[in-house]
Amino acid sequence: MDIKTELKKALVKELNLEDITPAEIEDNEPLFGEGLGLDSLDAVVIVVLVQRHFGVEITDMDEGKKAFESINTLAAFIEENRTDHA
Amino acid sequence: MSQNRSWSSRSIGSRLQHHIFYTLIRFGGRNAAYVLLFFVVLWYTIRPSIRARSTAYISRRFPRATGREQFFHCFHLQMELGKTLVDRATAGILRAFEITGRAEDDDTLIRLHAEGNGVILLSGHVGCWQMAAMGLTVVNAPVHVLLLREQGDVDRHYFEHRSQKIPVSIIDPLGYLGGTLEMMAALAKGDLLCTMGDRVLGNDTNTVAVPFMGGTIRVPVSPYRLASATGAPIVVTFALRTGPGRARHEIAKIIRVPQGLGKQHAAYLPYALEFAAALEGITRKAPYQFFNFYDLWEKQRK
Repeated sequence: MDIKTELKKALVKELNLEDITPAEIEDNEPLFGEGLGLDSLDAVVIVVLVQRHFGVEITDMDEGKKAFESINTLAAFIEENRTDHA
Repeated sequence: MSQNRSWSSRSIGSRLQHHIFYTLIRFGGRNAAYVLLFFVVLWYTIRPSIRARSTAYISRRFPRATGREQFFHCFHLQMELGKTLVDRATAGILRAFEITGRAEDDDTLIRLHAEGNGVILLSGHVGCWQMAAMGLTVVNAPVHVLLLREQGDVDRHYFEHRSQKIPVSIIDPLGYLGGTLEMMAALAKGDLLCTMGDRVLGNDTNTVAVPFMGGTIRVPVSPYRLASATGAPIVVTFALRTGPGRARHEIAKIIRVPQGLGKQHAAYLPYALEFAAALEGITRKAPYQFFNFYDLWEKQRK
């Protein structure tokens, strides 16, 4: 399973997104505000999710800001920072 | 139900009034400022619009007070706030301020910090809350403070009177994602994070309703969700003013929020209830050090 698909599945599950399926999430759709409509507290879950599922910590504010734009940017961030590329 | 913020952290004084106080402190010391403060507070307390800001709290804290007694309580409350602000300015200008902690509280904080998940110091607008971070030197760790700076506010924090580097890291709650990423990063590094649990910024979306002083108020769930996500313990602490230029940290409660509680706010209610109980306890202990000058309480539905 590629990172984007895994991410989408994890988001729907961990954030209890009831009105949307992983397949319906667009790769370029903004995660916060308009778009997927997540809020600041959902970001808490995503930080943990990224750490738990992919072993990647988001500790730099500027990097995190860029990574949190969309599935595409988050997947790229994970790809860049994960230690096991299996 | 959403509602706009019903409070403001902006000072009601003008820039000139603040500078008069700062100058008086610089040349006459803290006590000279207290003398001027008495007359300023009396002037403000006479004004019904100023008294109205504390009516909701005073009528709950002193339900049997007559009109005259309410005036006295309001004056006392405003005076205590004024002294706290004078002390804060004195801390910055003359570096004359002492904040201590009970030995057992210091030990608790050191022990919790050693767990390595960071520590969330959860407080309220009580006593010397703006200088509470000064007293956290017992733990050798960076301190981050979630601090709202209103546009155009002329009131200075103690560290803004000094030209040296700010001793704490400020996180802006109006910043990207409410400062969430910075808070998570701070806790991931094992740092101390100071935040407030008694005011809601924005609408009611991320809040829960808790009983407080015979009514219901809404408090943010963010501290509890952060704790659940990171494993950081929550230390409910208040910095009570104990005298001129003096304050004492008191740990009122340690809250452990289990991990994996999910997204539903109701899951965090038990922990918000613990905070509300601690906050109510402090209003009984120090009734004139509760500085929320607006009506916190939800209106009862008919």
